[in-house]
Amino acid sequence: MARWSGRGVSARSAVAVFALVALLGCGVTGCGSQTSEPAASGPVESTAADHSGQAVTVGIRLAGGSVSPVNARAEARVGEPIELVVHSDTEDELHVHADPEHTFPVRAGADQRFTFRVDVPGRVDVELHEANVTVTTIYVRP
Amino acid sequence: MTPLAHGIGGASDLPIPFTYAVVGAAWALTFSFAILAFAWREPRLDPHSPGRALPAGLRACCDSPAVRAVLGGLGVAVLALALAIGVFGDRAQARNPLPGMVYIFLWVGVMVASLLVGPVWKIVSPVRALHRLGCRMAGRDPARGLLPYPGGWGMRPAALGLFSFVWLELASPEPGSVTAVTAWLAGYVVIGLAGLIVFGTVWAERGDPLEVYSSLMARLSPLSRRESGELALRWPLNNLAGAPASAGMVAVTATLLGSTAFDSLSASAGWRDLTLDLAGNSTPSRTLFQTAGLLAVIGIVAAAFTLAARATGGVSGAERAMLPIRLAHSLVPVIAGYVVAHYLSFLVEKGQATLILLADPLGLGWSLPLLGNLEVHYVLSAHPAVLGSIKVAAVLAGHILGVTAAHDRCLRLLPPRHRLTGQLALMLVMVGYTFTGLYLLFDA
Repeated sequence: MARWSGRGVSARSAVAVFALVALLGCGVTGCGSQTSEPAASGPVESTAADHSGQAVTVGIRLAGGSVSPVNARAEARVGEPIELVVHSDTEDELHVHADPEHTFPVRAGADQRFTFRVDVPGRVDVELHEANVTVTTIYVRP
Repeated sequence: MTPLAHGIGGASDLPIPFTYAVVGAAWALTFSFAILAFAWREPRLDPHSPGRALPAGLRACCDSPAVRAVLGGLGVAVLALALAIGVFGDRAQARNPLPGMVYIFLWVGVMVASLLVGPVWKIVSPVRALHRLGCRMAGRDPARGLLPYPGGWGMRPAALGLFSFVWLELASPEPGSVTAVTAWLAGYVVIGLAGLIVFGTVWAERGDPLEVYSSLMARLSPLSRRESGELALRWPLNNLAGAPASAGMVAVTATLLGSTAFDSLSASAGWRDLTLDLAGNSTPSRTLFQTAGLLAVIGIVAAAFTLAARATGGVSGAERAMLPIRLAHSLVPVIAGYVVAHYLSFLVEKGQATLILLADPLGLGWSLPLLGNLEVHYVLSAHPAVLGSIKVAAVLAGHILGVTAAHDRCLRLLPPRHRLTGQLALMLVMVGYTFTGLYLLFDA
């Protein structure tokens, strides 16, 4: 279990974070009915990755045989670019289970970026094939 | 192991909104107790009710030997095509239509069709058709085998067959592997033919997993047969009351309901975390863990149902032992509702993708007319609110029909003094199934 130290944030706390952000966003801007606005402008991720502009970014780190994060959760909108930023010390293959599916080769090296869009609402699993784990599940909403 | 959803790649459904789950659960609870308290007090559902006969012309057409022969021949042709695709087609599962043919068209499509028009698999079953042909050439009666079917077996062989399928789909290391799916299909054909030859057509009715599943779903179809064999339109609940009450019925229904629940559960983040913690990421230990999980969920469904069905006063020990089997038909609508909720978008959308793959079935670069220029229309996924409403409505409809069927059967089986209290535990278990089902649709 200790090997998977990257799994700091579970799906449950991702929901909590999401709710908190919605609440804070509301408190700061003093909005009344526009509580859904934070979801549209700032997608929340359970990964520690930064997200610049509109793109949803998922940071993935493969180091010493362990993957971080695993079984995480991310939110995105239909048509929005989703970027996977990979830092790896090994070769692997990323599978994005969307329609259509995407496969990205991972090399040993820092800052490898893979971008895709999802055009149909759904739950999209991102998996590392060799490591045999689900990195994150992206909830793509309309 | 690549945990592909149901052995087919691509995205899966968004969870239903929490409010949908809560509203669905509230209605399920309300209806359950309304039925218990206010519905009829004397048994009313009658599997022998005459219904309304179909027009003679339509009946003659449905029952004509030529139509039957064509449908059976079609079944054999599709099976031959499927096996050819499995053996000679593209090894990459994303480019081979076989997993979709088996997991979508056969496992979901045939069963949903059975819900609408009756026992589809009995009519198109390629093993039955091949057996009929063999018997005709040998001058034998297909109903008569070499040995009598052991009465104690009941539907247990079918339960085992169903478990082998759901294990392949939900717990095996490579559910989408073309070779694995081909092997299951070939095994099904070999065992099915052997069973038919040894025991005659009774094997198809009780031992063939696909026919048993299809015929159970068909009990909810308005189309059914009178004692005299005439096709008639009848209330589905009357039809359901005639479902066979034989040994293995609890095993069959629990396998179907439990496996669908496990399918949702195993996609949830909580289960994936647990798998990683307890089984790590080596394929054998994960397969073992998934198998244990699948068996546990099926076992819990079966145990809860059995205990609840027996929880009544005023019956003898022998009668009590028979209660779970006699009440198990009431799980059929629950299964149907949950299967529709769980697999509808899969059937409609991944089904289209499979049709497109069938334009080039063997990976030879063909583009068959009609299929070659199709594209997938995401009619359901594009409207998550509509899809969510359909899911909750399906689960709720299945729950209400199931509770009603159980209520009526309890009135028939339980002594008057225990008619209300005797069905209380069963009703609570069914509410529990529905709450769990809605929670899983929300969570995963």
